[in-house]
Parts: sequence; C-alpha cells; structure tokens
Amino acid sequence: MDLNKRLFINIIPGNTFLDKLSGTTKVRLFFALVILLVATWDMRIILPALAVSIVGLVSIKPNKKLVLGLVGFVTLMNLFNLFLVWVVMPDSGANIVGASTLLFRFSERYVVTAETLWYFAVRFLKFMATFLISLTFIQAITPSEMAAGLYSVKIPYKVATMVSIAFRYIPEISRDFSDIKISMQARGMELDPKKTTLLERLKQNVVILVPLIIVSFDRVGNIANAMDLRGYGRGKTRTYYSEHEETPNDRKMKVVYLLLYVALIAVIIGRIFFPGEFEVWAPWI
Amino acid sequence: MSNEKKNVGKMLLGTWDTKTVVGVAIGAALFAVLMNYGGIRVFTNTSLTTAMIVVPIVAGLFGPLPAALVAGLGNVLADLIGGWGFWFDWSIGNFVMGFFIGLLPLYGAKIEDGIFQVKHMIGYVICVLLGNVVGFGLVTPVLTVLFYSSELTITWAQAFTANLSNIIVQVVVGIPVLFLMAKRNAKKSNLSTED
Repeated sequence: MDLNKRLFINIIPGNTFLDKLSGTTKVRLFFALVILLVATWDMRIILPALAVSIVGLVSIKPNKKLVLGLVGFVTLMNLFNLFLVWVVMPDSGANIVGASTLLFRFSERYVVTAETLWYFAVRFLKFMATFLISLTFIQAITPSEMAAGLYSVKIPYKVATMVSIAFRYIPEISRDFSDIKISMQARGMELDPKKTTLLERLKQNVVILVPLIIVSFDRVGNIANAMDLRGYGRGKTRTYYSEHEETPNDRKMKVVYLLLYVALIAVIIGRIFFPGEFEVWAPWI
Repeated sequence: MSNEKKNVGKMLLGTWDTKTVVGVAIGAALFAVLMNYGGIRVFTNTSLTTAMIVVPIVAGLFGPLPAALVAGLGNVLADLIGGWGFWFDWSIGNFVMGFFIGLLPLYGAKIEDGIFQVKHMIGYVICVLLGNVVGFGLVTPVLTVLFYSSELTITWAQAFTANLSNIIVQVVVGIPVLFLMAKRNAKKSNLSTED
C-alpha cells in the first residue's frame, strides 16, 4: 500500500459531529474506549465497541476507497499474526477459554479446537475495534486539538506538545521515507524481498535510514527556533487556541465518556478482585 | 558530593528546552514510521526493525530520559497507526530499554564533545544488553501478566526474538552511527593550537 495514502492526518477540522467536538472530549473519549478495549477480553464488551467504532468511522465520512484499503491490509496482517500465534500455541483455547473441543487434527501437535477459534475471533475483533477507533480518532482530530486534549488530562504540556508534533510529522517523515526508497530504487537498489537475502535487506534499510535521519533531525533546529521565537516554554501553564468552549454536544459526550470510565473501572476491579478461572468468556462454558 | 549528585540527576533528566521537546517529538515520529515500514518481520508483531537505531541517536543528542520517551512514545504512536492493537506492556518495556541505552554520559561517552572510544563502545554494548534484557525480559513479561494475563507464552517468544533482533540492530548499526556522530562533533570542537 502506498505510504502517502496510508498515513493521513487532518490539519483543519472537518464539519461532522465528531469533528466539531472539542479536543478535550475527543481525547477523553478515545482514552476511555482504547483502555477499555485493552483491559477486556470479553466478547460482550468487544462487540458493542466494534459497532461503536464502525458507526464513528462512517459518521466522519472518510475517503471510502482509502479506508477500505486500509481495513483490508490490517485484516490480512492480523490474520497472519493469528496464524503465527496458532503455530506457537496450537491449543491456546485450552488454557485461555478452558476446554478443547476437537474440530480438526493435522498432526499430534497441530489441532484446531472450537475454543481456539473462539479465542482467535475475540482477539481479532478486539484488535479490529482498536484499529477502527484509532483510525476514527486520527481522522477526527487535529494535532493542536490533540495537544489541548492531552493537556486537559493533566499531562505536562511539554509532553503534550511532543505528542502533537510527533503526530504532525509522521506523514511528513513517511513521505520522506518513500521518496528516499524510490530514489534508491531508481539507482538500482533491489528491494524485492524475494530476490535479496536477509542481511542484504537489513543493509538496504540502513542505506535508506541515513538520509532519512539527517533530513528529519535537520528539521529540529528550525521548528525549535520558530517555537522559541513565539515564546514557547515561558509559562508554567498553557492555553490552546484550538480549544473551544463546551458545546451542547460536548456535554452530551461528557456523559458518554463518564459512563465509559465507570464501566472501565468496573471491568478492572472485576479482573483484579474476581478473576475467573479462565481469561476469555465463551457462551458454551 | 551534593554537587556531583545534582549533576547525575541533571544528566539523567536532560535539559528540557524547546530543542529537546522537538527532538524527542521528531525522534518518536521517526521511530513510529520505521517501526511500521522500516523492518523485516521475524515473528508476530516483532521485526528486525531499524527503528531501534533512533534510540541511540536521540540518546547521543539529548540524554537518557529523552531516549526513553522516544522509544516509549514512538511505540504508542506506532501502535496507533499500525492497526495491531495497543500493547502498553511493550511500550513500557521500550521506555526502560531506551533509558538504559541513554546512559551514555554515565560512563563518560560524550557524543556532543566527540568522546566515544573503545571503552565507551564496550559500555554501550553492556547497556544495550542490559536494557533489552531488563526491558523485554523482565518489565514487559511482568506487565503482560498484569495487563493481558493470557498472552505470556507469546510474550516470551516475542521477547526472545525482539531481544535478539534489537541487540543486532543496536550493536551492529548503533556503534558505527554513534562513532560517526562523535567524529563529526569532534571535528567542530578540537581546534589545535599553533606551535
């Protein structure tokens, strides 16, 4: 997939419902959903979260072709990861879901059980939901709204600035990366994984890396000077131009994320104090 | 004594001026991009990635805490754009690893003054080994048990391959890069006096 198209961020906010929320609301909502998804392995929570993420992504009217391509790529990658997990632990369902109902047997070691498939389904949907929520978040937020939102959850503003600058420059750096790669190929460098050895490929990656690092760190001086000239880092606190006052929609979403945090705390307390015998819940066990 | 202590504390934190903030930000972005595209896949979510080389560079330029932040923050950002889910246990493991690698000035290697000799290289290799073993062999598995208790077998396999590939990249590529950086800085500062 083309790198330029794969990484895309907004500098100017759009005009859909999610776009118009304040940075604080966006960041808090995102944190609540993502931490909830990290904390849980329960299909009963993952499926609604997946539904929410799909609704969210559709509501911001993204570029359809681009999103479908991305989702296809990530689906394949996650399926491949699951395959590798299966190679390492063919009967992972036994420890994690708590039973093994044999469906298919390749050899003594390589078996397919219903529980393993259920665990893989949970795992897959969990990561797809996380990915779709991240994609929606990236699409709906601008770098300075992100800084404002992070500052609102008591993260030191220098760290908030760091995250927003990094976020702002990811597309730029990946564009440089693909430019350098193309110009290296134009000079006759073989990048096809089928035609080169592992060591050769590592060497080529380093060859791409040297100009990329020089170009990237050359920017540091310029950006830092521009920020210093505007008086960055003088005050102990900071306000953000992009942060607007709470709108009625922000207030509605505040109720949503507060409820999500309550659910999150319930999930975490449940996992710490009342751990089930097995990690993943399955309807038939 | 107290003065020396203060110096060590300052050395660990680094100076937090605008340049450091921007440097860490760009480093983290670079780390995230390379983690996604600049690697050769070895195992699930583990690759022989050139991203690891950003850490010693930032360590040489800004110090331990910035290097740690680059690795930790870069990993979170890579997760954000990568689509394989968030693995905070690994991000924190990376943070610890970055901190160890950033300890360059602790054993006398001063990249900005052009000081990076054989004994510093040995120190660097020890720090790389320590950082990877402590970060991915200790911190990450412990956090995996806390966060995602079922994933431990995978984490061990990943930790092993990650350690191996990180150490290869950081030693084989890191030492020449640090050496060149030091050499470049040394040229700027070592004015010889006329007889």
